[in-house]
Amino acid sequence: MQMQILDWIFRPNLKTDDARVTARDRMKSMLTHDRLELPAGRLESLEEELTAVVSRYFDLDKDTTHFDLQQYERRASLIANFRLIRSKC
Amino acid sequence: MSGRVIVVTSGKGGVGKTTASANIGVALASTGASVALVDMDIGLRNLDILMGLENRVVYNLVDVVEERCKLRQALVKDKKLGNLSLLPAAQTRDKSAVTAEQMKKLCDELKAMYDFVLVDSPAGIEQGFQNACAGAEEAIVITTPEMSAVRDADRIIGLLEARKDEIKEYRLVLNRYRPNMVANNDMMSVDDVLEILSVKLLGVVPEDEEIIISTNKGEPIAGTENVRAGLAYRNIARRIRGEDVAIMDLTPQSQTWLNKIVSFFSPPVRV
Repeated sequence: MQMQILDWIFRPNLKTDDARVTARDRMKSMLTHDRLELPAGRLESLEEELTAVVSRYFDLDKDTTHFDLQQYERRASLIANFRLIRSKC
Repeated sequence: MSGRVIVVTSGKGGVGKTTASANIGVALASTGASVALVDMDIGLRNLDILMGLENRVVYNLVDVVEERCKLRQALVKDKKLGNLSLLPAAQTRDKSAVTAEQMKKLCDELKAMYDFVLVDSPAGIEQGFQNACAGAEEAIVITTPEMSAVRDADRIIGLLEARKDEIKEYRLVLNRYRPNMVANNDMMSVDDVLEILSVKLLGVVPEDEEIIISTNKGEPIAGTENVRAGLAYRNIARRIRGEDVAIMDLTPQSQTWLNKIVSFFSPPVRV
């Protein structure tokens, strides 16, 4: 009990919005855009268009569509994941 | 003899690039190698101050290029290390005073005389930076764990990649590292920065007030024993020379009084 109280008063890692993780995530996203010279909003419009194209062929579970840029050794990969329900005739 | 020409660069100003150049120069010379430090920050000369040589500057790099003096006349010998010399920048000219071709020729002359030629680049990504790279085959990128400095370092790495034919290798020095803040998750760690930049690490220099004191005295910290930042620079020099030296233990040195009270009352806290 005594320890829990002290813990509660002194515990150093109680913060939920960790500045280190925030900085790292912001940096990753910023540098991905910097390296590709990708303007804000461009990726979103690509996502819209691609979704529209795939939707012409398949019924999609739009809530689970995953669209992302990932870095590997200073090169970006476009990850697009569409959950398909059934093909359209 | 053909020495190695290494450009020290950062993109962002104020991250400790010139301090790093001075200290890596001193540390390399302390290992026995002959070293020429070249200040390419034309118009904003500072390397002479950090070396404590500002009163001995007679001629400068632009004088050499414009043939007002011989190269040997412009080189200023270090006060302590006989195998270390400084080629100072001109203070009254600007970055257009030297061309890339002239710089390349100068580096060729210097590498015939020294084991290492360290070129301190100006901040920025424009012509001054490009000229500083002109004669180099290797680069050292200096950054701090702050977002703006890391972003600018990334830009510099992109530009170094574009010069792949000349710059064969580049490595990162993470400067002003604060182990206490990293331990509290308030600041990006070494691994975070390496992951973000996908770059090889040359060394980590902890933030140290002794650096300010040594700058004021004109005696680079690399020459001082028992100071962590000085040891960090000496390790960097050994790695440049090809030795396999582990990155020093960067766990926080001293606990805060708060942590001490907690650990007095309780067994180690598992987080």
